[in-house]
Amino acid sequence: MDRQLHNFLDWLGHHLFACPFKTHFGFDCPGCGFQRSVLSLLKGDLLESFKLYPATIPLLFIFIYTIVHLRMDLKIGAQVIKIAFAGVAVIILINYIYKIYNHQLIS
Amino acid sequence: MSEEQENPQENRPIDLNKNETPPFGPLNSGPSVPPPFQQPPPFGQFPGGMGMGQQNLPNATAALVLGIIAIPACCFYGVFGLIFGVIAWILGAGDVKKYNLNPSLYTESSYKNAKAGKICGMIATILSVLFIVFVVLIIAGAITNPEAYDKFFKGFN
Repeated sequence: MDRQLHNFLDWLGHHLFACPFKTHFGFDCPGCGFQRSVLSLLKGDLLESFKLYPATIPLLFIFIYTIVHLRMDLKIGAQVIKIAFAGVAVIILINYIYKIYNHQLIS
Repeated sequence: MSEEQENPQENRPIDLNKNETPPFGPLNSGPSVPPPFQQPPPFGQFPGGMGMGQQNLPNATAALVLGIIAIPACCFYGVFGLIFGVIAWILGAGDVKKYNLNPSLYTESSYKNAKAGKICGMIATILSVLFIVFVVLIIAGAITNPEAYDKFFKGFN
C-alpha cells in the first residue's frame, strides 16, 4: 500500500502541468513551484514543501476552510478568509521578490 | 425596487398577488418578505443568522469563490487572475450596495461573504496588475537592453 502510494506520487511527479507562462516567456511566474510543493506535502515533507512554495499550506487551508464555511455557515468564517487571503497574497509577493533577488527565476 | 409599493401587510386582503411578485424566489416562504425601510419584525432580525423571510444575497457565494480562485488563476499569465478578481470585486460590491439599501431583507452572513469576496477580489486584482506590469517591464527591458536582462536574471557569474 505504501509502496503503491509512493509509486503513484512518483508518477504524478513526472506528469505535472507545465506552467504555460514559463514555457512561453522562460522565467517563473508567481505560482511556479506550487505543484511540486503539493507533491512533497503529499509525501509528508513539510519543510521541502515550504521551500518550494511557501504559500501552499495557507492556500490549501483557505480552500478547505471556504468549503467548510460555505457548507456550515461559520460565524467568523468570512473574517478568517479575508485575513488568510491577505496573508497569502503577501507571502506570494515576498516569495516572488525573493526569487528575483536571488536569480532563481530561471532554473 | 418593486417591493416598495406594497408596504402594509395587513391592509392587503389579497395575499396571492404578493406571493408571486418577489423577484428573487425565497427559499423559505415564512412570513412573507418584510417591507423595506420599516421596523423589522420583533423576532426576525438578530437571533438566528438564518432569519425567517430573509434571504441570501444573490451573488455573495459566487463573489467569494471567484475571489479565492483568482489567486491561483493569477499564475496563468496573470490575465485570468485579473478577470476573476475584477468579477469578484464587482459582484461583491454590488451585493454590499444592495444590502445597504435595505439590510432587513438579507441575511447578515451572506453580507459578510459578499464583503469578503469583494476584498479578496480587490487583492487578487492588485496582485495580477502588479504581475502584468512586471512582465511588461521585463519584456520591454529584454527588447531594448538584452545584456542587462541576462544579468538581471542569471546573476553576474
